[in-house]
Amino acid sequence: MNTTRPSLGKYVCGMAASLIIFLAGGWLILAPFALGYQPYGADWVSQTTNSFVMGICVAVVALVAFVLFFFSLLGSLRSAGVLVAPTRVVAQAPVSYQTQAPVPQATAQSQSDLDKTLATLAAALAADLNSRRQAGSDQQNDQNESLVNRSEVR
Amino acid sequence: MSTRDAMRRLIPPGSYVLFLFFLAGIWLTISSFVMTTQPSGSHWITSTVNSVTIGVIMMVVSLLGILGYMLFALRDLIRETQAKQVAEQQV
Repeated sequence: MNTTRPSLGKYVCGMAASLIIFLAGGWLILAPFALGYQPYGADWVSQTTNSFVMGICVAVVALVAFVLFFFSLLGSLRSAGVLVAPTRVVAQAPVSYQTQAPVPQATAQSQSDLDKTLATLAAALAADLNSRRQAGSDQQNDQNESLVNRSEVR
Repeated sequence: MSTRDAMRRLIPPGSYVLFLFFLAGIWLTISSFVMTTQPSGSHWITSTVNSVTIGVIMMVVSLLGILGYMLFALRDLIRETQAKQVAEQQV
């Protein structure tokens, strides 16, 4: 696996900028009421509307930017091998005759364990089958020999 | 690496969002004067001071975010290229 050394500075830079701007957006929402240029109980003045709308937009988009940088950081950590990539869930084909509760889907790791167990079981069954065949052929040989002996005696 | 790939690594989707904040900062800075809520020729009122301050902060922070990311990404690109060149020389 080709791993690279992760450089986290750029993601931290973007996430910090997004976080500061998110806080600025929150302040923009609160400012008309905190600074008192919006009279209590009166209709909103144009500064209040502008500040409030801008604050909400800025806060929401800042969260989106933070999430984007955060997922880029996660991707970088995965490619560097620091984080393990999520295991794929093996989809099972639906069985029409099965009316019981659905079997939980196995992960790739448990699938390989299952393969190993099945391979061991198949080898044991093949060995057992061979030994039975051998025993059956020995018995047949014995019977043939006894028949030959009887015919010789006659 | 093509120029397009390099630009994609230097400017991630988050940087486009930061650029939107830069534009929002410009609007916040000039909004009081554009909307004429700030009386001409008089001292700045509270809302003007607030919106200009927040606008300038947003412009500076978003620009720093974009440039900071770009610088770090450029440093990584240069390091990767140097490492590749060293590996090729060793082969």
